[in-house]
Amino acid sequence: MKLIIMPNNKDLSIYRNADAYLLGIDGLSVNQSVYFKMDEIKSIAKELKDSNKELFISLNKNMHNNDLKYLKEVLLELNDIDINGVFFYDVSIVNLKEKLNLNYDLVWNQEHFSTNYSTCNYWYSKGVNYVCLSNEITLREIKEIIDNTKMKTMVMLYGYIPMFTSKRKIINNYKNYFNINDNFNNYKIYKEGNYYPIINDKNVTTVYSSKILNGIEELDELNKLDYVLINSYGIDDNKIKDVIDCFKNRKVFFDENNDKGFLYKETVYKVK
Amino acid sequence: MKKIELLSPAGDLERLKIACLYGADAVYIGGPIFGLRANANNFTFEEIKEGCKFAHELGKKVHVTVNIALHNKELKYIKEYLKKLEECGIDAIIVSDPYIIDTALKETKIPVHVSTQASTLNYESVDFFEKQGVSRVVLGRETSKEEIKEILDKTNVEIECFIHGAMCSSYSGRCVLSNFFTNRDANRGGCAQICRWDFDLYGDDKNITSEKPFTFCTKDLSMINHIPEMIDMGISSLKIEGRMRSIYYIATVVSTYRKVIDSYYDDPNNYKYDQKLKKVLDAVANRDSIAQFFDGNYDESTQYYNGRMELSNQDFLGVVIDYNDKYAIIEQRNYFKKGDTIEIFGPNNCLTYKVDEIIDEDGNTIDVVRHPRQIVKIPIDFKVNKYDMLRIKR
Repeated sequence: MKLIIMPNNKDLSIYRNADAYLLGIDGLSVNQSVYFKMDEIKSIAKELKDSNKELFISLNKNMHNNDLKYLKEVLLELNDIDINGVFFYDVSIVNLKEKLNLNYDLVWNQEHFSTNYSTCNYWYSKGVNYVCLSNEITLREIKEIIDNTKMKTMVMLYGYIPMFTSKRKIINNYKNYFNINDNFNNYKIYKEGNYYPIINDKNVTTVYSSKILNGIEELDELNKLDYVLINSYGIDDNKIKDVIDCFKNRKVFFDENNDKGFLYKETVYKVK
Repeated sequence: MKKIELLSPAGDLERLKIACLYGADAVYIGGPIFGLRANANNFTFEEIKEGCKFAHELGKKVHVTVNIALHNKELKYIKEYLKKLEECGIDAIIVSDPYIIDTALKETKIPVHVSTQASTLNYESVDFFEKQGVSRVVLGRETSKEEIKEILDKTNVEIECFIHGAMCSSYSGRCVLSNFFTNRDANRGGCAQICRWDFDLYGDDKNITSEKPFTFCTKDLSMINHIPEMIDMGISSLKIEGRMRSIYYIATVVSTYRKVIDSYYDDPNNYKYDQKLKKVLDAVANRDSIAQFFDGNYDESTQYYNGRMELSNQDFLGVVIDYNDKYAIIEQRNYFKKGDTIEIFGPNNCLTYKVDEIIDEDGNTIDVVRHPRQIVKIPIDFKVNKYDMLRIKR
């Protein structure tokens, strides 16, 4: 089982004990703490290869027509450097992989839709070799998927969970509508005793869970999982260093603002 | 040129019939399982068969949503379910999960439409689905006019676009607020519409206050003044949102768009947008409505900060269930009384009438109709039809 990190900082040395990195690219990725330029990616790829680490690129934006030109350029450039795979949300990337004859793997990462093994196997039949599973399914469902797919499996087991992504700039819209001028750096919304981080950057508005998912205790049960994803968004660098060490060494911890997400809580949909 | 399809929601058999009678070319419904409105009445297989029979006799089509995020435990039912839908005689399924798309195409002959849940926003994604064998893609509601045009230019499948109703404030499918706040699964039909809630907004731990609380809530979509453009662009189907909506809403919205579409086809050179139609639509709306992303706009003017209006239920007075010997038999939906001036409207007509006499089921003359679903008779000189509706004259 490998640890893959979504960094909160461009200085990746902070996360040196991780096995793999998931990096976003400016303009084509969303829900990342930091976004990299292609030149930066190229030099990081070289360094990581030298240190025998893996590199995945997250191109998880909902793509519009006017993103496609840059997307193609980036996909082609990535083909010339050493990366392990590209996370996708939008299926244009699957289409372009075939059209452009790209040689790296893809990671099916449709956040809330990667919820069953037959759809995993569908994507596997289309040449997609990795899946990053949804955080809204239970531990039992995760294990069933791992047992019933040939895909390499990933799931986020530590961090704030993105639970809302919109093209609308929802904080800016509110402030503009009511003529609110401020220069705050970090925003949160509050409801029923909980605070939820909310960010509106140049591409999207994202809302995160109020608690930090912590599934370290479940690592033994998930022993066939290929990658554990740690999302360092909103978490102090020193804490993330500790978290990586704990996950590496299976040192169980559970902080006050941690919870188990949906690992033991099945969602309902029929309210009658 | 093939005439554009007007596609209406239908939460149950009654609404399916209303939609067809009031001018929809096709309806979309939820089957017993696997649809995104788990808390609507939805259709049994028998009702789907009956709905198909009714629609097909009028030359209309029935599409069924199979657009939830599937979980492992449901996988064993999906093939059998799709085959049963096929036996019912449906005309298409609306799907977002590519495994269901693949299964439907391999195991049945039902045409497959890609649901807006897939958030398809570009021509490469449409091309991907086209290669899988789908016949139609419902575009994400974030597409602008220019983007739709480019997609139509560069792809060959039918394109369906939303024209009316509520909007997700997120990319469709990319919101699980409902899961986290209420444990109701947004992508499995349980959405609790958390985006309509009010929140306190904090910046760097300071409460940001204004006249109204922070919300994600958006205005609704209305494309009533853009229909000719959409027809000329080559879009195949115009979709109305709202499987949970009332028969009155369905009748009003469908008949209004029907009028616009038919007027434009009848005489495109002299077509003029009738501003009164927007007022008719506004009378059944819960929120202000605008063209949203079609105009390329998603700034503060597209958000809605004024809570919910409840106009629709007040206007709708009753539905005609029969007409005999110059008496209309009415099933009441809202209070009305002797002396009220009302409108009686059907798929093709709208007449004003003053209520002079009301007779209850026991033959007694009464002054007010105050009981929900009360059956009354009122004398009307002109012929009215089953499913014609009564509303307040404004």
